[in-house]
Amino acid sequence: MLSLMHFVILSVILFSIGIFGVLTRRNAIGILMSLELIFNAININMVAFSKFLTPDNIYGEIFTIFIITVATAESVLGLAIILAIYRMRQKIYADEMNLMKW
Amino acid sequence: MVELILFYFWAAIIIIAAIFTVISKNIYHSALWLGLTLFGVAGIFVLLNAYFLAGIQVLIYIGAVVVLTIFVITLTKEITGKLEKQHNKQIIPALISCLLCVFLIISAVLKTDWATRIIHTTAEDKTAKIGNLLLTDFVLPFEFASVLLLVALIGAIVIVSIDKENENA
Repeated sequence: MLSLMHFVILSVILFSIGIFGVLTRRNAIGILMSLELIFNAININMVAFSKFLTPDNIYGEIFTIFIITVATAESVLGLAIILAIYRMRQKIYADEMNLMKW
Repeated sequence: MVELILFYFWAAIIIIAAIFTVISKNIYHSALWLGLTLFGVAGIFVLLNAYFLAGIQVLIYIGAVVVLTIFVITLTKEITGKLEKQHNKQIIPALISCLLCVFLIISAVLKTDWATRIIHTTAEDKTAKIGNLLLTDFVLPFEFASVLLLVALIGAIVIVSIDKENENA
């Protein structure tokens, strides 16, 4: 029988894999992709809690739609910034971006 | 029983693909693995009876975000050139911190008493309900989301478009 625990543990594992990616990737695009993993872990959590705890009002799923919207906008802007940095410096490695470091 | 088997199937796909997304040496392969992960999440949404969200997941994430990421990867890096190192030297601390994160959250979840709060219902399609709510209770956030998307669209164009005068300077 599927329980809430299954989904929560799955989302925790996915979340921590995303954290690992954010912390270890050098490539800025890789960091953005790891962020997508984190957002998806949150989405699984939202929908699972919505299904098991408050099935009558589906606010969890509505919230997931807004999370997806904002995550998409964030990813588009992040990729645009990465492209602009690449134009300027020919590098997209996060540990070499020191333009604003004093 | 079928549900359980399907859950473990999708969970295995998600976790394996997510690990390869994170550790893959080639960033292009990593983007393809990300697509597989997002597809697995869509499968999990189907198991949770959120069919509309599963459709959105495939359309927006795999159809737009992953494709956009692949575009940017091909624009910023020579696929055929030699591969640069993709990970920094923080692998061990990162591993420790994410294992701590797993331990912390799972122990918190196991200590919580969910049994009294879980409400069992029959599976149903909630798409019509979502549509109703989006245009009644949530109409303001809905409009804000559309404005946000417009701003992101214009902002991305402005950031990426080349300014001829600045380029020569």
